Amino acid sequence: MQDHIQLDQKQINDDLLAGVLGMPKWWLPAVLFLTLVVFAGLGSFGYMMNKGLGVTGLNRPVMWGFFIVNFVFWIGISHAGIMISAILRLTQAEWRRPVTRAAEVMTVFSLMAALHTPLFHVGRPWREMWVFPYDFARGVWPNVRSPFVWDPSAVGTYLIASSLFVFIALIPDLAVIRDRAVNPLVKKIYGTMCLGWRGTPRQWKLQAVAGILLSALVLPVFVSVHSIVSWDFAVLIGVEGWHSTIFAPYFIIGAIHSGVSAVAMLMALSVWLWGLDKYLRPDHFDAIGRLLIVVATTWFFFFFLEWVFALYTLEGVEISLRELQVFQWPYGMLFLIFLATAFFIPVPMWMFKSVRRSAFWMFFTTLLVNVGMWLERFLIIIPGLVRRQPFTFDWGTYHPSIIEILIVAETFAFVALGMLLFSKFFPLIPIFDIKEGMVVRDEIKIGRRIVPATIRE
Amino acid sequence: MASGHAEHPGNPALVTAEDVTKDLLGKHEGTSNNFWRVASVFGILLILGIIGFVMRLSDGVSDTAVWGYYAAMFAFILTTAQSAPMVAIAPRIAKAHWRRPISRVAELWTVVGLFNLLLFIPMLWILPPLSDGRRSLWFYFDGGDVPSYSPHIWSTLAILGLVVIGVALLWMSALPDFAMVRDHAPDGWKKRWATRLARGWIGSSAQWNMQKHRLGILGAFYFMMLIFVHFLISVDFLITLVPGWVDSLFPITHAANGLQAGVATVLLTIWALYKFGGYKDYIAFDQIWALGKLLFALSLLWFWFWFSSFNIFWYGGKPEEQAIIELLMSGPYRWAFFGVFFFNFLFPMWTMMWNPLRRSTWGPPIIAASVLIGTFLDRIRLYVSAYSIDGIGNPAINKHVVVEIPETIYPSLADIFIMLGALGGMVFIFLMATRLIPIVNIWEQRELKLYEIHKTFHRTVVKVLGKPD
Amino acid sequence: MFAKRSVIGLYTDEEAAASALDALREAGYDQGEYEVLTGTPYPEGTFGEEEPKHTLYRWPLIGAACGFIVGLVLTSGTQLAYPLVTGGKPVLSIPPMTIIMYEGTMLGAIIFTVIGILIESRLPRLFMGAYDERITEGYIGVTVTTSEERVGTAEEVLNASGAEEVKRGWENN
Repeated sequence: MQDHIQLDQKQINDDLLAGVLGMPKWWLPAVLFLTLVVFAGLGSFGYMMNKGLGVTGLNRPVMWGFFIVNFVFWIGISHAGIMISAILRLTQAEWRRPVTRAAEVMTVFSLMAALHTPLFHVGRPWREMWVFPYDFARGVWPNVRSPFVWDPSAVGTYLIASSLFVFIALIPDLAVIRDRAVNPLVKKIYGTMCLGWRGTPRQWKLQAVAGILLSALVLPVFVSVHSIVSWDFAVLIGVEGWHSTIFAPYFIIGAIHSGVSAVAMLMALSVWLWGLDKYLRPDHFDAIGRLLIVVATTWFFFFFLEWVFALYTLEGVEISLRELQVFQWPYGMLFLIFLATAFFIPVPMWMFKSVRRSAFWMFFTTLLVNVGMWLERFLIIIPGLVRRQPFTFDWGTYHPSIIEILIVAETFAFVALGMLLFSKFFPLIPIFDIKEGMVVRDEIKIGRRIVPATIRE
Repeated sequence: MASGHAEHPGNPALVTAEDVTKDLLGKHEGTSNNFWRVASVFGILLILGIIGFVMRLSDGVSDTAVWGYYAAMFAFILTTAQSAPMVAIAPRIAKAHWRRPISRVAELWTVVGLFNLLLFIPMLWILPPLSDGRRSLWFYFDGGDVPSYSPHIWSTLAILGLVVIGVALLWMSALPDFAMVRDHAPDGWKKRWATRLARGWIGSSAQWNMQKHRLGILGAFYFMMLIFVHFLISVDFLITLVPGWVDSLFPITHAANGLQAGVATVLLTIWALYKFGGYKDYIAFDQIWALGKLLFALSLLWFWFWFSSFNIFWYGGKPEEQAIIELLMSGPYRWAFFGVFFFNFLFPMWTMMWNPLRRSTWGPPIIAASVLIGTFLDRIRLYVSAYSIDGIGNPAINKHVVVEIPETIYPSLADIFIMLGALGGMVFIFLMATRLIPIVNIWEQRELKLYEIHKTFHRTVVKVLGKPD
Repeated sequence: MFAKRSVIGLYTDEEAAASALDALREAGYDQGEYEVLTGTPYPEGTFGEEEPKHTLYRWPLIGAACGFIVGLVLTSGTQLAYPLVTGGKPVLSIPPMTIIMYEGTMLGAIIFTVIGILIESRLPRLFMGAYDERITEGYIGVTVTTSEERVGTAEEVLNASGAEEVKRGWENN
């Protein structure tokens, strides 16, 4: 990082805990607004439970709509946390330091948001517990051959794992809050949460080992989660376009694409909302921009392969599905928007250093990516179902109802609300990690040039 | 270094850049008798291979089944030697310092691409034209006629491009080293060639700048071209020959296997240099460890890709999918498949989990050897089975399903000669190339001296690594 | 059971803290008695302290084994207990079983690792002992926890090596 600012520990504490120990003016109104949206969504859910799924736009043959699109979308976003923090930790990338916590927390909240939608979608959510093997009385056990049983096991594992990951990395920072808090009750609460952290060499060493070990363990879970979500679609042979072997990696790389983009958005928001521009430097945006070029290009290659092999079959039904996706209203328009926003606008823009180093442009381009990736899921799920099959006796097309739109809005508000509440109680940038970055920073003088350097053990 | 878990390069005689240059040039100049002994063994294998090829050729090219092992060897070299340069390219783009002593080893393997280019020529005769009406990458939407030789033409161009970019990359990276050989080596053929190849390199900042940028661009192009060649070869020379095999992930599996085997190839090569080549001062624990971790991750990736394909076929259970599972996994080549599963995934996973093995200089090379054996079996399982399908090139063949699973084809004497020859040729050419080009990158090693400093930090000694722009 | 006393010296400079450790060692305190407290991780051995040993790597393996067994029992048990053929798949279908077993394995490994991290870090710690809030602000604390007679000497040593402030804490043992 060339434009680095060296800060002392007190300054770091003050900056990064400003949102925790104080309260920004906009915080309360924002939280109130988001709470309102969440309640509107929950209200619609209550109404839907009462009236039945008929109040949604779902109808034969399109039985998977906005809910499932949204489920896949949020699972995708949730992949950013582990992607950023685990991979960058394992590769010892210095620029990870201010980014990891926010990304991990976003993982947790977006996973919760993802869990909402299938729960709502099943119509009788109280029966959802049948995926767990608890029915000792009647001897009816879940069918492990169904991907819908794999889903909760994978998402549950991932949620538990990422929550624990966040907690472990939070302990040293909780101790910082404990030491700063004025109110004795608050002090007591944080003191309990940080489990009596003192900062001995043993504790720091374990913290470092834990970061690496947990990263290595969470990474395989992260890969499995979206693979399993993709198999909800891909193991089926009934719907054209779904039964493709590339689905698992394709979903993963798409998830990384949208997730890393979401992290970039979060970084820009942190700079604007909390004024953390001393910690999130243009270099950080530059690094994530470079990463995104690689991710987006890889994603595009997978997208290309998926298409090539659909056309390769030369089977009429498959090709007519692709025609529906590309040439028929409204999917054709959505397809164009999807391609433009997910790849063709942002990637050429990221080629320019000035775009990569600007918080505004990174926010703008990554927002586009997320619009595009949401549409991608829509275009995978809906056209496949809309298509007329030989034995389809009833078909309509799909229009989301206001209930579905409200519930989708609720998931977005839920994640935003979660992040805001978290930021009120815990620092969104890992304090100890930033401090460590300051300690291990060094420079090497070569002739007239000073090269930034890092101390490695 | 407080936690010295293994030896690190730290020869007190190699402090300055001049020491390093002198030492490495000295190593490059001398060629031991042992080297020639080893090289001649591989040279003899290469001659055996040529004999095997002539024997094979006497059977003609109309029956694809007998050429399966030949195709497998071509694919094996593509998967190992031609994928190995990624070990130089990716860490160089990521500015990882540990790559410095081994990037030349990885790049030198591109020379073997020239050999593979030769091996590719007969493949063009073996592959039947598209006039049999099989599915192919070169489809037309309107059902019009497809140019029958599209796969032949495009694959040739692609693989030619890969080899050219590879050699250009190697040359660009070796330019400053040629200049050093030119300036410091005693008279002889090495000096003459180095003078010619150095193209007037004087090390001006403009030249260094140009070299840095071209290395980056050539590296990126090599990577893209490599993925593209894996895509074309795996589809045109493999998938299309098997009726009903629709596997959109496979080109990536083929390429990922290439990365895995490429890392294994480099790992094994640097281990040989470490153990027998006298390069202990440069190549040591850091490099073996870094590649070992990479190999571990790629072995896990192998399983994920394989399972992603398998699960879809197993669940789909359509007749053509069942036929694919039988043909490639559970049927006549089951022995090869279980071998792959064990050598490419189970063995690396179960051993690399253990710290004492992963953090050693002897553990990762064993895993690398295992991965190479697995990859060898994998190419045999895929190519031999695909090429043995009855009726390839015959327009009357069922295009949607493998109707009859072919019998196992075991290698004949000619096939064994071809396999030995391909492996021998690969190593022989690599060994010959090391005589012309220093096997450890001298300029990158000198650059490291600028950016890596060991210093005292209060009561401990730490390594300070500089990251220039 | 005899009462132990603890004392902490606060330093602003890494070098001073390191020499305080040297002085304590010279005064005959062993490494179980003194500790460095910092607000940020330093490279190992910065203060000349002993390298902490841990056995964290065993934890995930034990957890993985437990999780794997649970996954195996659950998946095979439920299929055998309710042998309903679905989708033309065999009753004991191995590919889907591996998926759930895999998740079980990973979950077990992660939960055990987290427990292991806490235990190996000696957390939770109920009594703070000698501590100062300024440690999380950049001060380096050197604590000595020892018997009542020796705590006075420790205080002197800490003072002599340039501590900004030295104060007593308490600790039960």
